[in-house]
Amino acid sequence: MDDPRATRLVQIVLRCYPARWRRRHGGEAAELAALLIRDGTPAGWIAWSYLAGAAREWLTPRPGRRLSTVACALLVAAGSLGVSAGLLASTVPARAAITSQGYRFVPCRPDPAEPVRGVIAALGRPRLSSWEAGHGRSC
Amino acid sequence: MSERDARAGQDVLRRVGEASVLILISLADGPKHGYALIQDIKALAGVELGPGTLYGALDRLERLGLIESLPADDRRRPYRITAPGAAALRVHLDSVERVSAAGRLRLQLGGI
Repeated sequence: MDDPRATRLVQIVLRCYPARWRRRHGGEAAELAALLIRDGTPAGWIAWSYLAGAAREWLTPRPGRRLSTVACALLVAAGSLGVSAGLLASTVPARAAITSQGYRFVPCRPDPAEPVRGVIAALGRPRLSSWEAGHGRSC
Repeated sequence: MSERDARAGQDVLRRVGEASVLILISLADGPKHGYALIQDIKALAGVELGPGTLYGALDRLERLGLIESLPADDRRRPYRITAPGAAALRVHLDSVERVSAAGRLRLQLGGI
């Protein structure tokens, strides 16, 4: 393979296969990737194809492979997805907190004791009518 | 291969998917290694098999006894179709031909 980055990428992806597969096909798979890259096939496409193949290889039950191994692989995959989803979800309350802090200074309904014009001034809308200030805002 | 074996072969080919059938067709005229298989299948069917798909299908076909690997020269390992593989391919192609003929006939009858 001429491009060292492409070589490294394919080598890394080939390491995702089970050891049994690598012993059987590792050498010829690297050779095939080199020939395809030489022909102008994008290294990313080759790597993706090998990655999908590695996933299939791990998830396909084999006579010599115990069911627990397959179950563990599935659990790890599900766990990874769960962590990602958890991280995404944890950012939502943080955003909500930032948003609510931004509105904390303005009361939802104007205090009857406070003149409406004071609220209007606080909102920076001097030409707002009293009806809009009192009823038009949603909480 | 007996008729029952041939029927079993047909069922196997129905289950193994298009890539495996294309590999068997490509190997029908002689042994080939991975790169030659990809090039040949691209030329004969216009399908560009990914290398991951290729090795998955080769493993499956080998486990089923439909192909066998030959001693590797350098880092390239050639594969060859076996007698049960050839019989299974023949049965499968006959079946595809029958379905294809029926489809054409129905199109004619429908006047489409």
